[in-house]
Amino acid sequence: MRLSDLLGAEVVDEHGRAVGKVHDVRLEQAGPEQADLGPGLRVEGLIVGRPALGARFGFGRGVQGPWLLRLVFGSLGHDGHDVAWHRIRSIRDRRIRIAGTADDLPTPQPSGD
Amino acid sequence: MRKLLEIALGILTAIGGFVDIGDLVASTETGARFGLGLAWVLLVGVVGIVIYAEMAGRVASVSGRAVFDLVRERLGAGAGLLNLAASFFITLLTLAAEIGGVALSLQLATSVNYLLFVPVVGFLVWLVCWRVRFELMDNAVGLLGLALIVVAVAVWRAHPDWGAMLHSATHPVVPTTESHAAYWYFAIALLGSAMTPYEVFFFSSGAVEQRWTRSDLLVNRLNVYIGFPLGGLLALALMVAAALVLEPLGIDPSHLSQAALPTSLVLGRLGLALALLGFFACTFGASLETALSCGYSIAQYFGWQWGKFVKPAQAPRFQLAVLVSIALGVGLVLTTLDPVQITEYAIVLSAAALPLTYLPLLIVANDPAYLGGKVNSRLSNAIASLFLVVLVLASVATIPLMIASKAGGG
Amino acid sequence: MARRLDAALELLDRQLVDKDGRLAGKVDDLELTDPGDGLEQPRVTAILTGPDALAGRLHTRFGRWLQGVVLRLLARQGPARVPLEQVQAIGSSIELRVAAGRLDTGQGWARRLIGRLPGAGEGDAAQ
Repeated sequence: MRLSDLLGAEVVDEHGRAVGKVHDVRLEQAGPEQADLGPGLRVEGLIVGRPALGARFGFGRGVQGPWLLRLVFGSLGHDGHDVAWHRIRSIRDRRIRIAGTADDLPTPQPSGD
Repeated sequence: MRKLLEIALGILTAIGGFVDIGDLVASTETGARFGLGLAWVLLVGVVGIVIYAEMAGRVASVSGRAVFDLVRERLGAGAGLLNLAASFFITLLTLAAEIGGVALSLQLATSVNYLLFVPVVGFLVWLVCWRVRFELMDNAVGLLGLALIVVAVAVWRAHPDWGAMLHSATHPVVPTTESHAAYWYFAIALLGSAMTPYEVFFFSSGAVEQRWTRSDLLVNRLNVYIGFPLGGLLALALMVAAALVLEPLGIDPSHLSQAALPTSLVLGRLGLALALLGFFACTFGASLETALSCGYSIAQYFGWQWGKFVKPAQAPRFQLAVLVSIALGVGLVLTTLDPVQITEYAIVLSAAALPLTYLPLLIVANDPAYLGGKVNSRLSNAIASLFLVVLVLASVATIPLMIASKAGGG
Repeated sequence: MARRLDAALELLDRQLVDKDGRLAGKVDDLELTDPGDGLEQPRVTAILTGPDALAGRLHTRFGRWLQGVVLRLLARQGPARVPLEQVQAIGSSIELRVAAGRLDTGQGWARRLIGRLPGAGEGDAAQ
């Protein structure tokens, strides 16, 4: 499987209602923290919903100015959800079904490292 | 002492390398049709390119990465690809225009039809990109381009009424023979000739080619703050020369020869020879820059090894991209489309595409992950943002003005 | 606390740099293990790079067709892979443990073409 198979996939809840599209995949180190990636990387969960435009530009992670651009692009408001991997019930043809509904999903926190 | 020489060389190269076929055509044409009424646009353009070139050089020196390299990271693969497509197309068009300009300069010097020179010029451009060391290439064409100073000398020797000229430059008036749409259309064209997208790619990639680091930031600033405005003065000289000689005669310059006319009238054969040398050097130098920029932007989008600082076999896809771009440019000129026409389209489209290049650059120049403590100051951010707004407005107005003024003809 | 990163934001479209500072392509896609019927957490096994990997991100018929064309042109079975074990560090660029010459970066065809021209520097030492 490839990462691109997950990105853009449609996520639906247990009732078949649309939750959103996958716009990012959160990875975690599979073992204790190390300088390199000895233990490897694995998928922790999916980030579903509309991404914040400013995030890509770095406005949430250190980019301060110029204020004009921050005004235009910097809305870090994110109407989306974190879907932990264990919630997934099935993946088929770029359609991912999860347990529970959209309401009991947390909003994404920045991965912050 | 050696450092001083290095700085002087850099500044001189920046001056001589500023003018390209776009400036030649735009400055001469606007001078002939509008007198000094659009001189202010040249000033605006020079300020703009100085600000953004300094940023591009700084990003490359501190992060070791060229601007287009970072475009895909910041815009994503999709938007980055659109940006690449637009930038590449326009730079390719400019490359064709420059090759045409070289061929036309040779035609003026030898009276041999320019089309015969085109393939030869293309081959020479490729050969220099392939084998000649970056600094040598950059310095040689830059210094030769200083021959254009003869145009400024010609203006001086023509003893114009400086007071009247200053007045018409500071009180721009649209001549009765021109429409307002044409005035603003040419304003955009002139802006695009001074602030070209390829300049940013070339300047930042060049900084990486020459292995600039933090300690070169001062040299970078001197080159840009002193060299570019002086280079802009040469473009202004072309405009003034056209305003003094071509405008009163009602000559609408559609041939490159008319750009050399004022100088040859005032300074005779020697003046003409130097002017042609200057034209040749500027357009040849710009051909090299645009050819390399075509290669830089493609290679940097895909992440391939690029640059002349490695042997060609170490950067094969980059070298192929340069080769193919030159071939396409040569092909375009060989369709017998008038090179001056190609130039006009190239600079107008350049102006329209400027926000695509400058927006990512402005964002990157503010990112401490790439620049550490050397991010933009509030002042430069303020000016740069203002410019971006102006550029977006110009970009949006381009097509309507092109239609309203019938591409400057109406 | 184990390190976390958002793949699309921090890994995808980043520059791959080898141990000598040579550029080795961009992260165009990631190869993951198949979750299977048990829906196990997929592990990242390799970084995929090259125009065909990039085309694979377009989940449209056009994208698949493009991918096929590129693979056929380059006479490859699949995209160029950089196994995850070769990754030294993930920062603003992805640093690799090995030299680019030891990796499959998909530039062989171009190298053969360009290498034929005089002065290409083919056959010179050190990658």
